[in-house]
Amino acid sequence: MSLINVANPKMRYLNAAEDLRENPGQWKAYNCEGNCVVLAGPGSGKTKTLTIKVARMLAEEVTVPRGIACLTYNSECVHELKRKLMNLGVQEDNNIFIGTVHSFCLQVILLPYGKLAGVALPYPFNVALPSEQKKNFEHALAETVSPEENPSPWRTKMEYYRRTYLDRDKPEWQTSPQIAKLIGKYEEGLRLSGLIDFEDMVLLGMHLVEKEPWIRKAVRARFPVLVVDEYQDLGIPLDRIVKSLCLNGGMRLFAVGDPDQSIYGFAGAKPELLRDLSNLPGIETIPLRFNYRCGSDIIQASQITLGEDRGYKFVGGYSGSLYFHQCPDGINDQASKICNIIIPKSIKRDGKRNFGDIAVLYMDKNDGDIIAKHASIAGIKFIRIDNGAPYRKTPLIHWLEDCASWCSSGWIKGVPSLDSIIKMWKRFNRSSFNDKEQHILKVNLVHFLFSHRSSSMPLFEWLSEMHSHCLGPTFSKETLMRDESNAFDKLLNASEKGSILEDFTVGSFAGQSGYKDHLNLITLHSAKGLEFEVVIMMGMDQGRIPSWRAKTSEEIKESRRLFYVGMTRAKKEVHFVYSGFTENQYGRRFMRGASDYVKELLELMEGS
Amino acid sequence: MRISRILIQNFRNFKNLDISLSDQSVIVGENKIGKSNLLFALRLILDPSLPDTARQLGFEDFWDGLSRPLSKEDKIIISIEISDFDDDDNLLSILADCLVNHDPMISRLSYVFQPISGLSDDPKKESDYEFLVYGGDSPEKVISYDTRNRMPLDVMPALRDAESDLFNWRYSPLRPLLDDSSSRISPDLLSSIASKISAANNGITEVVEIKSLAERITTKLEELVGSYQAFETKLGFTPADTEKLIRSLRLFIDNGKRGINEASLGSTNLLYIALRILELEQLVDQNKRNHTFLAIEEPEAHLHPHLQRLVFQKLLRSRTNQSEEPDECEHSKFTTLILTTHSPHIVSVSPIRSLIALRKTVEGNATEGVSTSNLELSENDIVDLERYIDVSRGEIVFARGILLVEGESELYILPAICKLLGKNLDELGITVCSVHGTNFAPYIKFLGSKGLDKPFAVLTDNDPQTGKISIGIQRLISLLPLFEPIEDLTNISTDEVKRLGKAHGLFLNDHTLEVDLFKCGQHKSICKTIIELSDNGAAKKRATVWNDKPDELDIDRFLKDIEEIGKGRFAQRFSSNISGVSYPNYILDAIDYVSNKCR
Repeated sequence: MSLINVANPKMRYLNAAEDLRENPGQWKAYNCEGNCVVLAGPGSGKTKTLTIKVARMLAEEVTVPRGIACLTYNSECVHELKRKLMNLGVQEDNNIFIGTVHSFCLQVILLPYGKLAGVALPYPFNVALPSEQKKNFEHALAETVSPEENPSPWRTKMEYYRRTYLDRDKPEWQTSPQIAKLIGKYEEGLRLSGLIDFEDMVLLGMHLVEKEPWIRKAVRARFPVLVVDEYQDLGIPLDRIVKSLCLNGGMRLFAVGDPDQSIYGFAGAKPELLRDLSNLPGIETIPLRFNYRCGSDIIQASQITLGEDRGYKFVGGYSGSLYFHQCPDGINDQASKICNIIIPKSIKRDGKRNFGDIAVLYMDKNDGDIIAKHASIAGIKFIRIDNGAPYRKTPLIHWLEDCASWCSSGWIKGVPSLDSIIKMWKRFNRSSFNDKEQHILKVNLVHFLFSHRSSSMPLFEWLSEMHSHCLGPTFSKETLMRDESNAFDKLLNASEKGSILEDFTVGSFAGQSGYKDHLNLITLHSAKGLEFEVVIMMGMDQGRIPSWRAKTSEEIKESRRLFYVGMTRAKKEVHFVYSGFTENQYGRRFMRGASDYVKELLELMEGS
Repeated sequence: MRISRILIQNFRNFKNLDISLSDQSVIVGENKIGKSNLLFALRLILDPSLPDTARQLGFEDFWDGLSRPLSKEDKIIISIEISDFDDDDNLLSILADCLVNHDPMISRLSYVFQPISGLSDDPKKESDYEFLVYGGDSPEKVISYDTRNRMPLDVMPALRDAESDLFNWRYSPLRPLLDDSSSRISPDLLSSIASKISAANNGITEVVEIKSLAERITTKLEELVGSYQAFETKLGFTPADTEKLIRSLRLFIDNGKRGINEASLGSTNLLYIALRILELEQLVDQNKRNHTFLAIEEPEAHLHPHLQRLVFQKLLRSRTNQSEEPDECEHSKFTTLILTTHSPHIVSVSPIRSLIALRKTVEGNATEGVSTSNLELSENDIVDLERYIDVSRGEIVFARGILLVEGESELYILPAICKLLGKNLDELGITVCSVHGTNFAPYIKFLGSKGLDKPFAVLTDNDPQTGKISIGIQRLISLLPLFEPIEDLTNISTDEVKRLGKAHGLFLNDHTLEVDLFKCGQHKSICKTIIELSDNGAAKKRATVWNDKPDELDIDRFLKDIEEIGKGRFAQRFSSNISGVSYPNYILDAIDYVSNKCR
């Protein structure tokens, strides 16, 4: 297929679209008109399809001054999406919104129309820092339940409740009067301090679009198309917003997700929402069945785990392999065997394979600590992606990574572009809209970046100077940047001498996503969307997965999906490592055997 | 979409201007009142061709009445409110962030010139000030070039040189139109025409006389600078290059006989306006913008009154259902006209609600504005008023004060009386306006405090009836509520009615104009006029009798005799015959009332 001459960067998508032609599902999605739900199995090229479709809609269907709004799960996903769209020549502009659900609710609904709609908020309001949320919550808990309670499980319950019972004037709000009261007290405390939290943004946004037709009209005027990625992770509030804006408000919907990969039930996600949406009349459902990632044996095994035949086909030409390792001496034994036997053997099997191609997946941070310890002992370098990670990846941190990337070597090629870095910088400085002030901000930033072009400078030094030159004044002036300021402080602390990132340089900070010789240590929940040549699933014992806490059928189904997500991260090899028992913090053993899901697969292997 | 309100504070002539607008606007006002400043104020917000350096104003742009040196509270604020845009998704997407009201949807755009925030002392120099253009209530929502470009204000200034603009390729409104058309012509067709032109060029250049001329020119050049520096010249019709072909097209008039440089000033201006409007329509079609606010200063320049009426009748009314052609309506939806004018002809065809009058405040140190956009008028009232203004060429809009009368008789007689009293109505700026009947109400509303807010008086006949309240008093009773709420209309006394009437400028005679004139001492002039004009012998005889014995007047007979002559004709001749110093009181009262109120 000959390349179309694309001098205009906006037309780059035409060439990229040719790649989709061979895949009937992707091609259908590319051509769909009207409301559309794409059910994208693992490794099906969903992000590629989505970004090309967005570029197409912007070039062919949506004209300036109107645009497209793209929503996704978290700031990591947002960053990825922006990067991929930029490669297709789609510049972030006034008429394109790419962000998380709460950012959408804040920027597109609450800030422009909240006051006019009479929302009872203090104006101006601030976004509550995690520490402020914590303080308010503990205070509210002490008042409504008791001061002796452990806040952590209550917090989870409260967040789940807030995201599930959305209509406070309905009887269901009183399902647990105690929690309802707790929430009331918590929110009251925030308001008195002039604060809202992320959940408030989403709930207020949802109520506004449902209640006010003029807001739906205004949002639809700006964005005739709504694109939603990872729909399965987004929960009831987003579902209601989508229904209100799209089915009731005339916005066209392009939603992408996989109900089988819904693993955030504890946070309020519900897999059936996407399935129900796709079954509504007037919505075209397009399954993407080709799996470009996992070997055919791995796919087959994953369908057994799911218990359903989704008709996924492998297109790669290799079968992949599954390995089962029993370690009789418990989790430490597992970690040791992984670092000393399993990984070296796997690397030997393929001459081109490196540590960066391998990921160890585990249930929680504690297991993460164990494998990290053994990896250190074995002299293996690693990157950790779990709650034990030393800093949160907020939009500012992503931007700092981009700056670091530019400083270390990006400035030579102009990738990332200085222009996009400056644009983002201006956005962080919302209240400096005066020309003079903007100019000063820009000059300061560019001067700093130019004079700090070094890959080997210690991260701590680089960050400190970034703060004194640029970030410091911004943090003091911009009230909406308080959360970012907090995240920055954590990063700075982590990079200090004696802390976990003390060895980090500008270069290593920049290269955070993917490092060739660093082993990847990731919790199952954080592994979503990633792929590796080799995946080693550690701690696959009954009681860990499914967890002994999972009692309802919903919770058990979600555990199964978690296992499914884990194994479908692998291209060539999946290793299941188990002991047959679990041990609690006091050393007591529970002999429940290997995980049911492992047992199912073992039977399949023996049968063939 | 329309601008529904303009607010200007502390800017040049304006201390506090707050006017509401209806669809399109026609702004009138005396010279130096600030019409151009009003347009400039709009440009500060809406004109993308105005450089930002021009938005950085100076001390002289602050209203004169502010005491100097300026304090840090003194700021210049200019705001416009925009309505009726929510049926257009493109406009809504631009303006949704600037909403100040959601039902109905109204957005606001503001320009503010103020001391830089964070300044501790009073501002001392011009660089202590900054400007901001923002939407809605939040200064963070900056209105930038991009927004302005999608709904710009285009100004056609008063001292425009239409001729040279049409000629200068860069500024000519013909250029974008030609460019767009040529982009749609098939290249093959263009090539074939180009080759024909090439042939024509060759045809003429090969003619001996032309060829030798070209050679002589080249030779002379070589003589002057040598062959190295000289360049070859050729004579031809137009470059035969397909790209340059369309651009070389010229506009001709008079059946192709004359180029526009030979056109009259009026024709040139007309052409210019037509081309500009086409250009604006094209920009919307190409989605380069979504709306244009077209401001034309003194559009009457160089146009005969008939042309003024023709052109602006169309343009000002095509947006409402008054246009018959649907296509016109479509396109005109995307252009809003704002005119500033001295021309009664243009005012005569303006919709009633489009009038905005600028005038000095009572204190005299600032300009204020009034508009007719919010008048409560019935459909019929509107039709009547517009017809009146049409026929009288808008004189009522330009007058400083008005005497409203019933018919043409007063139109002749009142000015004549004024002259004899030594009051020149023109100097006072007072116009006598006949409502041709007794339907004074719409005019009172039009001129009242909710409309143009001009001083006026009503002169109307009493027409007494036996056994009942006179018609005049009844009329007054029906008109008084327009001024103030009257508690009990049924129990009010005749004297009270008259008193209230006078307080509000409603003046009643005792019987009718002619009778009152006769009885106040003008009987000799009246009888002389009847004798001069009447064809009726009996009437003449009666007039002779009444001349000497005025007490014997038979009122009914008298009025019939005048009607036979024709009231207007009678009034016309009578105004030349008036003599003496006695006139009906109500006339004197009315003239005093209005001239005292005129500033």
